[in-house]
Amino acid sequence: MLIKYEFLKIVRKKSTLIVMGISLLLTAFLFGLPILQFQTYNQEGAIKGFEGIAYEKEQYKEQSVPLTNEFVEKNIAQYQTLFENPANVGYDGNEKFLIGDVYWNYVAPREKLLSIIASIYDSPNENSGLNKLPELDLTKSAQFDQTRNEKIEALLNMPSRNMSTKQKEYWSHMNSQVKTPLQYGYHEGWEVILSNFELLIFAILAICIVIAPVFSGEYQAGTDAVILSSKYGKTKLGTAKIIASLLFGILAFTLHIIVAFGLPLAAFGVDGWNLPLQIADPIIPYPYSFLQATLINLGVIYLVLIAMISLTLLLSAKMKNPYLVLIVLVPILFIPLFLSPNGTTGAYNLTLFLLPYRSTMPEIGKYISYPIGDMVFDVLSIRAILYIILSSVIMLLARFTFMKHQVA
Amino acid sequence: MHLQLQNLSKQYGTKWAVNHVNADLAPGVYGLLGANGAGKTTLMRMICGVLKPTSGYIRLNGKTIEELGEKYYSQLGYMPQDFGFYPDFTAREFMLYMAAVKGLDPQTAKYRTDQLLHTVNLHKVANKKIKSFSGGMKQRLGIAQAELNDPSILILDEPTAGLDPKERVRFRNLISNFAKEKIVILSTHIVSDVSYIADSILMMKNGQFLLSAPMETVTDVIKGKVWEFLIDQRKVAEYSQQFSVVNLHHENNKVRLRIISDRAPTAEAINVEPSLEDLFLYHFGEDALSQRSHEYVD
Repeated sequence: MLIKYEFLKIVRKKSTLIVMGISLLLTAFLFGLPILQFQTYNQEGAIKGFEGIAYEKEQYKEQSVPLTNEFVEKNIAQYQTLFENPANVGYDGNEKFLIGDVYWNYVAPREKLLSIIASIYDSPNENSGLNKLPELDLTKSAQFDQTRNEKIEALLNMPSRNMSTKQKEYWSHMNSQVKTPLQYGYHEGWEVILSNFELLIFAILAICIVIAPVFSGEYQAGTDAVILSSKYGKTKLGTAKIIASLLFGILAFTLHIIVAFGLPLAAFGVDGWNLPLQIADPIIPYPYSFLQATLINLGVIYLVLIAMISLTLLLSAKMKNPYLVLIVLVPILFIPLFLSPNGTTGAYNLTLFLLPYRSTMPEIGKYISYPIGDMVFDVLSIRAILYIILSSVIMLLARFTFMKHQVA
Repeated sequence: MHLQLQNLSKQYGTKWAVNHVNADLAPGVYGLLGANGAGKTTLMRMICGVLKPTSGYIRLNGKTIEELGEKYYSQLGYMPQDFGFYPDFTAREFMLYMAAVKGLDPQTAKYRTDQLLHTVNLHKVANKKIKSFSGGMKQRLGIAQAELNDPSILILDEPTAGLDPKERVRFRNLISNFAKEKIVILSTHIVSDVSYIADSILMMKNGQFLLSAPMETVTDVIKGKVWEFLIDQRKVAEYSQQFSVVNLHHENNKVRLRIISDRAPTAEAINVEPSLEDLFLYHFGEDALSQRSHEYVD
């Protein structure tokens, strides 16, 4: 009963409807932008929006294949054959590339696939596009999976990464679980979602704005004296307020997720949900499909959300005014927006990757790991553990602070 | 049932808002009188457990309120001064919410809500949002919520503040109806509010009880000291300086003064029966007069 009324107190406010409305519109706009801005090309020029998406999907039909050594070898050989004819090759003073009908008929429809294949022959931290393909010695280099593994090993051994043996073993073991051959196919919708997760920080902020008066609003309105002198005022009421806030936060955030995921998936389709992440970037060590990665990162974001709700409630229980709550909270959420990592090691970077804003990003291709004692945790696990601990501790503190509130 | 205040104090910085107060309260209506800043609200907040005393204890039947916890709060009804409402709730929703916070089961909550809204004459607007209510309606809703759990201790902090005389009378009657077999502490600086309904008077000044006595005998301390007489208008200032003037009334070209004095101010002065207001003005002097003028302005 108490939870029901506390929930009603949150949703009945006009400000709740306004903040949620604006936030949903903003989410729809931000996640709708990739649809509006989508464009692909054919010989006639750019094809934009839904027409472009349909064209792209059509192109992929022939590319939904497993990336076996034979398939990769065949494609490289074909590229090299085309490259042998000087009439097909253009030169811009810097690099050579296929041009004309050959480009439009062969390269353009499968440019992403060729880029993925070519990328595994680059050294770590190198990106030469398709330039390496004409020079590859097929007798040595066509072993796609082996070359991919070798590249990952080289990456793990880079001095700049400063990885311990345990960390290297951890990532190598994780990578060994990636199922090969990789199944290639259309996955645009999922790529849009995975690369835009951080935009959900605005939804988290909106929810915190709505939750900010849960305790401090009582102090501000002068209702604290009445409720705290009631039977459950110092016991069940605090818990009910926390549960109602979490309930509201989770429901409101789920609504945002439906909009944020629904738009790209409706426009680009759900195709690719079961394809491996490695077809977006072959060095990703996580053995997950796009759907799995999305759900795992979404799970982490829900934990970040719960921790932020808890923090908002603690500040709300401490402060006499919801505006003061936001003055503290907004910098915590948004200052990390202006901080960039300069690597994947060191206290600064490892802390930055755990801050709320950064924690919304999957960072699945960066090999960020945290050695703790004899154990190694990847960034997603450590975020999950950290935010579960933070939420539990902060929630208890919020309840305790409200219980001990003095009416003055 | 006994509510004991033992050596109860609250200190803010160097100022004692409540200074080592002691009292043993049995069922009855207690009028807590005092000027603004006397410490009435601080004392009531401590009794209600929403403000921690600097020292001292509050005990109900021998047990401290900390020991009793929910058992104490379930027997308590509190209507603070100027307390807020949830503007987007209707009167009924607010009452049902408060009933839930007070631990009433849903059936009892509905029954008590309907009953009390009827008692305070808000049943016709039960489904209207509180933001549309007048000050008087909000006050009535305030006392209704305090009564929801049929408390044995009812604390009312300035419940009539801001009400017009008609509302004030209605409110006094409500309190009288609710007060049976309860410890009711009614704080006010409007003497007439308590003179009709209080069984005992607690007078507070500078954080301490100045006086604690049953209503029937409370004015005994100034018995034989209240005088009324007519004087020339020009002499008012002179008498005001010499005596504690509790009232003056213009009658034709003269002024009728009511003063408190150990001796007769003039040979024509008539000794009159002291009232609670005389006692209040006797103790609070200028503070009380200034408050009374505010009261009249209100």
